[in-house]
Amino acid sequence: MPENDRDLPRRPDPDALLALAEQGGRGKLTVFLGAAPGVGKTYAMLTRVRRLKEEGVDIVIGLVETHGRAETTTLLEGLEVLPRREVMHSGRTLQEFDLDAALTRRPRIIVVDELAHTNLGEGRHPKRYQDIEELVDAGIDVWTALNIQHLESLSDVVAQIAGVPVRERIPDTVLNRADDVLLVDLPPAELIERLKEGKVYVPDSAKRAVDRFFRLGNLTALRELALRRTADRVDDQMVDYLKQNAIEGPWPAGERLLVCIGPDRLSEKVVRTASRIASGLNADWIVVSLERADQESGDREAMRQLDQTFHLAEQLGAETRRVVGNDFVEEILKLARREHATQIVIGTRRHRFPLRLFRRSLPDALAARASGIGIHLITDKDKAEARPKRERKWMSRKAAWRALAIAAGTAGAATILGLVIEQFIILQNISLLYLLAVLASAIYAGYAAALAAALFSVLAYNFFFIEPIGTFTVAEPHEVFALFVFLAAAVLAGGLASRVREQAKAAGSRATATQALYDFSRKLSATANAEDVLWAAVTQMQTTLRRNAVLLLPEGGDITLKTAWPPDTELDVTDTMAARWAFEKKEPAGNDTGTLPNSPFQFRPLVTPHGVVGVCGFVQQDKPLEINEERALAAILDQTAIAVDRARLSRESLDQAAQLEGDKFRAALLSSMSHDLRTPLATITGAVTSLLQFGDRMPADSRHDLLKSIEEESERLTRFVANLLDMTRIEAGTVNAKRDWVDVADVVRSAAERARKYFPDRVFETSISADLPFIRGDSVLLGQVLFNLLDNANRFGGDEPVSIYARREGDELVLAVTDLGKGIPPGDLQRVFDKFFRKGKPDGRSLGTGLGLAIAKGFIEAMGGQIKAESPAVRRRGTRISMRLPAAEHQLPEKE
Amino acid sequence: MNGARILVVDDEPQIQRFLRPALGAAGYEVAEAMTGGEALKTAATSVPDVIILDLGLPDMDGKDVVANIRAWSNVPIIILSARDRESEKVAALDLGADDYIEKPFGIGELTARIRTALRHRIQVEGGQTSLAADGLTIDIVKRLVSRDGKALRLTPKEYDLLVMLARHAGRVVTHKMLLTSVWGIAHGEDLHYLRVFIGQLRSKIERDPADPRIIRTEPGVGYRFIGDED
Repeated sequence: MPENDRDLPRRPDPDALLALAEQGGRGKLTVFLGAAPGVGKTYAMLTRVRRLKEEGVDIVIGLVETHGRAETTTLLEGLEVLPRREVMHSGRTLQEFDLDAALTRRPRIIVVDELAHTNLGEGRHPKRYQDIEELVDAGIDVWTALNIQHLESLSDVVAQIAGVPVRERIPDTVLNRADDVLLVDLPPAELIERLKEGKVYVPDSAKRAVDRFFRLGNLTALRELALRRTADRVDDQMVDYLKQNAIEGPWPAGERLLVCIGPDRLSEKVVRTASRIASGLNADWIVVSLERADQESGDREAMRQLDQTFHLAEQLGAETRRVVGNDFVEEILKLARREHATQIVIGTRRHRFPLRLFRRSLPDALAARASGIGIHLITDKDKAEARPKRERKWMSRKAAWRALAIAAGTAGAATILGLVIEQFIILQNISLLYLLAVLASAIYAGYAAALAAALFSVLAYNFFFIEPIGTFTVAEPHEVFALFVFLAAAVLAGGLASRVREQAKAAGSRATATQALYDFSRKLSATANAEDVLWAAVTQMQTTLRRNAVLLLPEGGDITLKTAWPPDTELDVTDTMAARWAFEKKEPAGNDTGTLPNSPFQFRPLVTPHGVVGVCGFVQQDKPLEINEERALAAILDQTAIAVDRARLSRESLDQAAQLEGDKFRAALLSSMSHDLRTPLATITGAVTSLLQFGDRMPADSRHDLLKSIEEESERLTRFVANLLDMTRIEAGTVNAKRDWVDVADVVRSAAERARKYFPDRVFETSISADLPFIRGDSVLLGQVLFNLLDNANRFGGDEPVSIYARREGDELVLAVTDLGKGIPPGDLQRVFDKFFRKGKPDGRSLGTGLGLAIAKGFIEAMGGQIKAESPAVRRRGTRISMRLPAAEHQLPEKE
Repeated sequence: MNGARILVVDDEPQIQRFLRPALGAAGYEVAEAMTGGEALKTAATSVPDVIILDLGLPDMDGKDVVANIRAWSNVPIIILSARDRESEKVAALDLGADDYIEKPFGIGELTARIRTALRHRIQVEGGQTSLAADGLTIDIVKRLVSRDGKALRLTPKEYDLLVMLARHAGRVVTHKMLLTSVWGIAHGEDLHYLRVFIGQLRSKIERDPADPRIIRTEPGVGYRFIGDED
């Protein structure tokens, strides 16, 4: 980055501007930093609060501990103090800061004392600094106080200086992100004076530690740390300012540290030291772990140690990486080049004397091959700590007995075999048989068994085969030598064989995991609907992690439980809040995280490139996942997120297709309706204007024809409008069919009559059976239905007559209109009753309005009847529309 | 110009039913066609002086009928169209149709369009050296434009634009036709040029540029020059 600055000296650094822009919308965090308790941080803070309050600023006390001191209490008078939240903690009622009350109150500035405090009880966050981060994220300015000793990166130094371990620690990033740091300073001598006068609050439990802590030397050292830290920050701010304002440096050249760690306790120290170096240099730093390719699922304890160190590094503001490889030196240098690292920080252990001769340590090898990169070696103070934290993982008693039994068994078998063979031939190298025994033990029971077998073999070999036979003594000096050579060979071979066994085991379990994941992803890709995807995911989590799992998806603005294993799992308020947190903040929440750790579940967001698509929760119950489980989980979550996203996309695309179809339909409808309205209007307008302009020049019959056409077109328009209105009524559900007694014969006759008048060229035949029952219905609606059907029949009926029949069939009256036209294609038989379905040209211009049958259906159904279309109707021609209406005769006694 | 033969192409019998007697009474001879194919055949055999063409035909696209006729004849074509089919209408005009009229229309409006079209037919045959409109005179030979006897100073582009419109006096000229003839093929879509230049031109030639009488806007289609004869 600074190289760029040198190239383009006058351009503001875009990264700097971006960081500035990201602060918009967030509140400002002001930290009152002190070297030790009692320097007057709270006092300084409250004095400022009072001053702002007098200026009319909306400033509120969220939480301030007065510790019963009068001068502090006086300062609080007249200030708005938020009530605290009562929490139960191990049987006692305690008062804690009420985060939600603060968020609801939303002052411009809020004062929350003691940044490093650990929340008790069932709060949302275990640490106060997390509460404060949430306030800042919500756009509220926060003032808080902090003693330098609580800073994570300094905790080991502080512990060393003061001789007291620091329990409450906060990540350095919290302080680094603070917008302002105000140093509250008091010379140590004065502080000790204040302590003696009883002006410094010390909890009872710490009374004894106090004397050790408040020593001039300690306080001076702490003061130096605080001063230096503040100075560094001021320096950073100046550099930021210079970059934002394009003022040419002399800012320090951008250093980048590459910090190498391994699964040992020294690494923690390496990380802390690197953090201090990095902040001193104002440098970015990357922490990278080195793992052997074959070590992947190795020592659990080591993995946990490594995870802890990584966590620490992240808290201190480092980027973290894992590197797997066999040539560490090569991997480190490759990464250093890629990341433009200028310095490497690495821990070193002094090997004990003989080993030091044979093995070149990693730092030495690195120094030999690195060029142009500084290397910091971090050594350990005392040997005890320097030992890698390899608490030998002792085998279970059962496994140990088994190993011993196998070792004894194979050695015994080798002995017997040797003795048997010796009966027949003179074997020079009986020892080879024992080597076989050692190898077999290594392969079947591991390294420990191999060692045991080697020992047994040496003893047995000596006892049974080396002169004097039957004793453990050795007569010939060269036999002693041979025995040692055998022992060395057996140990080495055993080691190799057991390593092969370990690798095979690791590869096996990896293959199983890969296979499971492969099966899962195949299962997912085969399912397109979201429900199946979710179900597959929870069952997979159950089988892989052996933990119960839940999946939540956003729905209607909130996140809701969709699938769970077991299916009747329910989430309580805390769980739901944690899930929502994970969804909104895109970070893990719940058990074993910084947010709502009291939930039994841990929730992870399902992240895709399009954002978070859901949340997955699994029962954590304070049993953290192991590293390989963590990997499996990550893979499952990735797959699930993609599948959920895909399901969502496919649903959206279906919706879109439907929408598109709807749009197309509406466009066609609009165009056909406008055509239906316009043609009669055009005719009427044209005819009227023609008559007006040329009427006197026209022959009488032409004039008459024009007038006639005006009449016809007006009627057409009226029918169309009436149809539209009927349809609107049906759509709106306001068709109130009357329940009168209707004589269908009358209705048929009058409809036929009307049709004959309108369509004089058409023959309409009626056939009405004599025993026709009455129906309960609306004669006007029925008449209109019939006329619509006759109109259709006229339009599509070719030249043949149209027939109407009405007869009874059981308890029903059947009414049908049949034409002998071309008929309806079978595929359209269902659709003819759809609104605006019509036979015509694709642009929607057609012979009819497309409403006739839809209206008929609406009216008939309103009268409790059914309507259907048949085609062909007669001799492969024509269409029959038949209606069935319930007969009402037996309620008419007079008909008898 | 009575006695001119007019071919009416429309598939709606109702339209034909009133156009036939009305145009007959106005002194024109009327031929009818219900389909595009029939229209092309009749246009070739009966040689009409004007074709009135509905764009929505059962057998083929009205635009194809225009293109087909334009391949061999300059006969004026008046499009019958609807307001909601603007793009079709403009496409037909760009293909060489001369004018359009929206349904529903009064017969007076239609006969006025027919007269303009017929006059244009004669002008094309004869050629014209000067044009007049609302006190404005355009001398095409001398490239002079004057209003009430006073010479007006037009930029070359403004002059080209004015002449292009005036040559089609009474008829609509589409945006594309104006743009391609004045600015060139590449600028066929640069509508903002037109808006600017028409504005300038109006401020110079119109008595009241806010209520233009000479260059009329046909929304979504183009502009129409209204000469004294129209």
